[in-house]
Amino acid sequence: MRGVLTYALYVVMTLIWTFPVIWVILTSLKPRTQIFTVPPTIIFEPTLTHYITALTDQDIMPSIINSLMIACGTTLLTLSLSVPAGYAFARVTFRLRSQLSFFALLTQMAPPIGLIIPYFFLLSNIHMLDSYTGLIAIHMTLTVPFSIWLMITYFQGLPMCLEEAATVDGASPFSTFFKIALPNVLGGVGVTAIFAFIESWNEFLYAVVLTGSKTKTAPVAIFSFLGAEESRYGPFTATGVMIMAPVIIVALLAQRHIIKGMTLGATKG
Amino acid sequence: MLERPGSKRISRPAFMVRRERFGWAMVSPAMIFLIVMAALPLVSIIIMSTFRIDLSSPLDNGWIGLDNYRDILHDSRFWHSMWVTFVYTVSTVILQVTIGLVLATAFFRSFKGQGILRVCVLLPTILAPVVVGLSFRTMIMSQQYGILDYASILFGFGSQPWLTDRYFALISVIIIHTWQWTPFAFLVFLASLHSMPLEPIEAALLDTRSTWQRFRHVILPMIRPAIVIVIIFRTTVALRAFAAIFSATGGGPGTATEILNLYAYRESFDSLNLGYGASLGTVLLVITVVISLIFFRLRRSKA
Repeated sequence: MRGVLTYALYVVMTLIWTFPVIWVILTSLKPRTQIFTVPPTIIFEPTLTHYITALTDQDIMPSIINSLMIACGTTLLTLSLSVPAGYAFARVTFRLRSQLSFFALLTQMAPPIGLIIPYFFLLSNIHMLDSYTGLIAIHMTLTVPFSIWLMITYFQGLPMCLEEAATVDGASPFSTFFKIALPNVLGGVGVTAIFAFIESWNEFLYAVVLTGSKTKTAPVAIFSFLGAEESRYGPFTATGVMIMAPVIIVALLAQRHIIKGMTLGATKG
Repeated sequence: MLERPGSKRISRPAFMVRRERFGWAMVSPAMIFLIVMAALPLVSIIIMSTFRIDLSSPLDNGWIGLDNYRDILHDSRFWHSMWVTFVYTVSTVILQVTIGLVLATAFFRSFKGQGILRVCVLLPTILAPVVVGLSFRTMIMSQQYGILDYASILFGFGSQPWLTDRYFALISVIIIHTWQWTPFAFLVFLASLHSMPLEPIEAALLDTRSTWQRFRHVILPMIRPAIVIVIIFRTTVALRAFAAIFSATGGGPGTATEILNLYAYRESFDSLNLGYGASLGTVLLVITVVISLIFFRLRRSKA
């Protein structure tokens, strides 16, 4: 009896959490006439027309490229700042260490709406509104704090003895970090990179205010199919699928590591 | 770990000085970045909130002291948005934690197919909230063509104004948020249960009879720290929710789903009243910081 109940719950859960996504994917493949039918069409001949419409739209392809550039830039720069910082917080004793790591945690809690007005003035004063650099720097304020904390946990998980042996052998702290510690946490660096990429790729509030025609990202551009007078569900869902596809693929490939990284902070207490 | 007072006088061994320098060299790029890009803007928003910066009528702009805050006190739209924020935050957090706990309790003993379950529930948490919000607005919750509306008609409840009626809309955006983020709570609770040693759980499970007792006396005490962390984290995220509500209802109908965050956005970038928007943002900032500090203190005293 219990087994049956658990199994039923299992089926319901997987359906509830995958159905909306599957429905969007199905709709993106439906011929135009079969999107708006009551009852909804389930059997149809799949077509790629909506993807062609979306990709030939003057906004969508450039916006996907913009999103990609910004997310990659954000990821690389986030790693270059937060991996060294995570190592020092995890392994080195220095003045203000606990205060600084708490400060990094606090910056993560700041609501973006409180930051966006200053950013708006800052970027317009230095003529960087609608530029990759501006949005990358701002997305990094979202990604650097949690990346530091993730990297602290990964470095703390390394056995001390390797680094101690290197220090005894006379290696400098920098070469211990680069040659001993870093190669052993590459998996953790990868997970951190995935989280930073997803955060930037999905981000909307900063992008909608601070980008213009040149750097508009995909989550902003997708609105163009849902106008006040007509909604083009076909190209809209096709674009939605293209925005979701990269993160879904990454999630499928690395799900074990992603779930581990996601729940790391909470299970360490 | 901590410096003892007066330790500066004693000249420290050279290698310690080197370690200290090394530590600073490693953290300073990130710290300088966070100070310039996060701490300074937070200070400047507080300063801006004492100015009148209305780009639609810039002639009267200038320093006005605390006038924005005096206006906030008499602003019924502000109090309404506070109420919506409260309802939205409290209900989404309670729903996520409760459902997450029930599911984690049901599924924590490993069984065939758990891998698939995890992939499925991981899915919503990595999707762009904008795409989620727009998809619910068009494919799921729109009247007539939405699949949820169709199901509602099919089961005899009739077509409902999911996102166009003020009460329905608030419930709908709560459902959307809960749909997207309950898996996070579930996965954290599951991982937390799995990180515990198994024998005491198994022994306790044999002792206690009812499901409720088992949950209350065995599972709950073990994952209390994880629950506190999930509540802290999800509260701060719910307070600054934006994209999903913006794309599903735009804050509407009227101001029915306008949480404080969205009100600050509309005031700043639709009405271009940046000074007033900054003071609304400052209020949200203060609320977030106060709530986080209370939670941190609670967590420390409980642990």
